Amino acid sequence: MSTTTVNQTDCPDVNVPDPLFFTIGVVSLAENLLVVVSVILNRNLHSPMFCFICSLAAFNTMASLTKTWETLMIVFANVGQLEKKGSSEMQLDDVMDSLLCMSFVGSISSFLAIAVDRYITIFHALRYHNIMTMRRTKAILGVIWITCGVSAVLMVGFFESKFIMICFVAFFVVSLAIICFLYFYMFMLARIHAGKIAALPSSSGGKFGRQRWRGSSMRGALTLTILFGVFVVCWTPFFLHLILLMVCPMNPYCECYRSLFQLHVVLLMSHAAIDPAIYAFRSAELRHTFRKMLLCSDCKQRS
Amino acid sequence: MSDFHNRSQTNARRSDYVWQYEYYDDEEPVSFEGLKAHRYSIVIGFWVGLAVFVIFMFFVLTLLTKTGAPHQENPDSAEKRHRPGSCLVDIGSPQDENDKAFSRPLLAESRTYFHFYINEEDQGKQKPEEERVGKHSGARAQRGGRGVGSSGVDEMEEEVEEAAGHKPINGLMEESNIDRECAFFSHFNIPNFVNLEHNSTLGDDDLLYEPSAILERQSHSHDAHCDIH
Repeated sequence: MSTTTVNQTDCPDVNVPDPLFFTIGVVSLAENLLVVVSVILNRNLHSPMFCFICSLAAFNTMASLTKTWETLMIVFANVGQLEKKGSSEMQLDDVMDSLLCMSFVGSISSFLAIAVDRYITIFHALRYHNIMTMRRTKAILGVIWITCGVSAVLMVGFFESKFIMICFVAFFVVSLAIICFLYFYMFMLARIHAGKIAALPSSSGGKFGRQRWRGSSMRGALTLTILFGVFVVCWTPFFLHLILLMVCPMNPYCECYRSLFQLHVVLLMSHAAIDPAIYAFRSAELRHTFRKMLLCSDCKQRS
Repeated sequence: MSDFHNRSQTNARRSDYVWQYEYYDDEEPVSFEGLKAHRYSIVIGFWVGLAVFVIFMFFVLTLLTKTGAPHQENPDSAEKRHRPGSCLVDIGSPQDENDKAFSRPLLAESRTYFHFYINEEDQGKQKPEEERVGKHSGARAQRGGRGVGSSGVDEMEEEVEEAAGHKPINGLMEESNIDRECAFFSHFNIPNFVNLEHNSTLGDDDLLYEPSAILERQSHSHDAHCDIH
């Protein structure tokens, strides 16, 4: 059977320029590497919360490194230096795909871990240090990294199997639901308590207290919207792509959605670049460590 | 995939047709004729849905904050609404105590405790040293609470900075009028926060769920515990 007469697709693949990939990759790499190094160097930051943030930054570093390297290889292949279908290139492509998968699964797992850690901090605050010891934290991180490595290898090895993709998508949806529930629950309880504090007649000025409470409530709502909204906006298009790949490979509408694949990957990478701003840089201690590191490097150069 | 390619090439030599299998076909046999809607309709629909979801979430969150707004014109109703703990249960007016099902001898004391918690100026003078200790441990507890919890919900620190955050902790220090179990437990809350002090350098502007909330929750959970006895 000869190849069927092919109608020229009306939805051409949207190509993102390589410099954009490079820029986002390098920025994300620099930020996340900075976070990882700061957390490792500063002994004050050796707490469960910062261990999870460091793990998230490490996964983001791996993702941006891998994506930047892949972009570089694609550039070389387009120029002609590399053979597109050579066996070693295909193997390297598989390795990079598995590293990317590992970092995706790891990022989502780290988000989940951070949300659960914050939840325990708030609702079991007095027993927090017994529940979340450093040993348990390290064990959890070890489990996360090993699971991600194994599942990444499986995913890339058996990518044609629909079961693996269904597992991947189901993992994302379940994590999303858990994170959403945890943050909303924390937010609601925080609001109720803030309301009670503002309701105290003896608190500094009734009306003034209420206004402050409203202002801070708005900020809390904004913070949570940004946190959750950025996660959803950056990750959902890619996963919808996977879903459509399974559900309707031949549908023209789905084809038009899948033509935007590179844009969705850009969104994923930009999420890796935004993450430090949302999670890590909110800590004054971490910012202080950055400044010390950067300024001290200047000091050393001067002296 | 490269195996398939080789096989197809040997097949091509044998027969006239080429059979190619690739996961992503370069030329998709998708027909674009007869499309009823715009071809990017899924894309547009998805992004519009996502935007609506995010905006809806933001409005739900702000609505939650508005409906939880305190009403200060009626202190009694505020007391009733904001203090449902069973240790301090049914504290509306003194004469209702005897009518309640939970007729415990401690109600009189818990009423005093409750009134102290809400209307501090109605109480007698606190012992100065207790107040100092309470404020000090409250301050440390706040820093510790901030250090431990970093949910990014950073609006709490403003309230925590204010005296309002100190007062419930001071109130809890007043042991003479408190149910023995609850007071015992509340008193033990304070030393626990001291352990969090090593985190005090972490994230000064991070979260927080200040300790008074935690104490309140703990007394809630212990109220249920008290109820059983």
